[in-house]
Amino acid sequence: MRKRTLHRGLTAFWWATLAFLYLPLAVVVLFSFNAANSAASFTGVSLRWYHQLMGNEEILSAFANSLVLAISSSVIALGIGCLIGYGMYRHRHRKLGWLIVLIYLPIVLPDIVFGISEMAFFVQIHRLTGLLQPGLGTMIIAHVTFQIPFVALIVYSRFVGLDPTLFEAAKDLYASPVKRVVHFMLPTIKPALISAFFLSFTLSVDDFVISFFTAGPESATLPIYIWGAIKKGVSPEINAIATLMIGAVAIAAIMSLLFSRRRPA
Amino acid sequence: MAYTGVMPSARSRAMVREARHLLFTVAPGAVWIVIFLVLPGAYLMGVAFMTNGPYGLPQMPLSLESFERLAGFGFLGWSPGNLYTLLRSLWQTAVSTGLVVLVAYPIAYYITTCREKWRPIMLLLVVVPSWTNQVIRTFGWMNLLAPGTPLSGLAESLGLIAPNMGLYPSSFAVTLGLVYNFLPFMVLPLYAAFEKLDTAQVEAAQDLFASPVRAFWHAVFPQTLPGLLAGIVLVAIPAFGMYVIPELLGGGKGMMLGNLVATQFAGGANWPLGAAGAILMLIATFIGLFAMRRIGKRLGGGEEVVI
Repeated sequence: MRKRTLHRGLTAFWWATLAFLYLPLAVVVLFSFNAANSAASFTGVSLRWYHQLMGNEEILSAFANSLVLAISSSVIALGIGCLIGYGMYRHRHRKLGWLIVLIYLPIVLPDIVFGISEMAFFVQIHRLTGLLQPGLGTMIIAHVTFQIPFVALIVYSRFVGLDPTLFEAAKDLYASPVKRVVHFMLPTIKPALISAFFLSFTLSVDDFVISFFTAGPESATLPIYIWGAIKKGVSPEINAIATLMIGAVAIAAIMSLLFSRRRPA
Repeated sequence: MAYTGVMPSARSRAMVREARHLLFTVAPGAVWIVIFLVLPGAYLMGVAFMTNGPYGLPQMPLSLESFERLAGFGFLGWSPGNLYTLLRSLWQTAVSTGLVVLVAYPIAYYITTCREKWRPIMLLLVVVPSWTNQVIRTFGWMNLLAPGTPLSGLAESLGLIAPNMGLYPSSFAVTLGLVYNFLPFMVLPLYAAFEKLDTAQVEAAQDLFASPVRAFWHAVFPQTLPGLLAGIVLVAIPAFGMYVIPELLGGGKGMMLGNLVATQFAGGANWPLGAAGAILMLIATFIGLFAMRRIGKRLGGGEEVVI
């Protein structure tokens, strides 16, 4: 049967592709437990790179910077993006083409163009006014800028999925707009808010290029630290810190799988 | 309606209220994006038309100097360095996008032939590596392709590379890194296309004794075309502007446009030249997006692809 040979060939191709996808990650994880100092040979299992990690203040501060950056930018983007998402929904019958262009701009712009235009702009503003010194502040501004569209689109699509009569009912039920927001809007879009927050957080932690160009000397994040370590000459410590980050992704993947299992979409 | 000037009607009051509502909800984000992205972008475009000054900073007068330098004309006459970088970016983008299609097409098809309960897991398995940081993934490839590794040894014994050279840094390593990086971007839209595939057309082709190749070409391929084109745009646009992968895997001879642009800003070498490179990248991006819209409309699907 020709069909069966085709299927068997495809199965082999599938497993080969999976190997291709996971090999680089597996190598990083494997060598993080390497007793030897070199990346060329594996001499035995040891945790020495993880021990060294704990004592490395640069890495710990990079970790702290990554967290502060991701959390604060996600919170700000959630507020601003949520408002836009609602505005887009409520006024969807108007001609809002300019707004759509504005919202898609951060998504379609190549990272490198995004990063260097902000960097060039911040540098000039700093030269003229002394404001916007490169550091965590400028990085937060840059991250919020690329997070806003994702939050806005998630919140917007949640509102679109709602029954429009709900809004009328809420209007009848709660007299004041404030009460309507607290008792009706926020509870109904809570799932969208949660997923928007986590997406923003992941985008921020995952970003390298935009952070790299807007960072100051004191505000290196984990990816920036790893980049620097690679450029300086590979240290086995990178494998250990990279393995911890891969572990975090693996946990996120398993959680997303369990989450989607529980509520089949 | 003569009274509206003095005493606004209920309707016009409601319109004012709606307009104010629009302003309050949309303005903070719109203003944010304008100040922190549109203005910087406009400034960068302006920089491209200025002259290079001391410390690489832009200065007056306006000129096309940076575009001339991008085309290779410098103080020492014409040199092909920058043009090579441009051509290499185009070449790498084309080759890696083509390879991504060749791998992703059968994979996307294969996933749709598997049992339904496995499909989400299979898609997740394809996507998860791209959730890890790009720098880490590329570092993994550096480990795999360095001199002295099994893969380099294999290539050496096959006579593909000179002894002790290693597979990286090289243009080959950059292509590999790009294919690795963008594979999921192609699998997802292709999978969506295959899942919606109308099998009645395939059966009709088989009933008419079409050969498998002809059945594929006339009944399957056209149906997957929207997904394929969406994937090509999702891969080719970011590949053309790629910075991390050529910087780590390419070495001096693997430089792409993104690296050319970045170096002009990192060391303060020549902002106007870097800005001119960025404009080129923007043009490529908008051509890609425009092409996708046109093709999407012609195919009648008109689907918006949002990552």
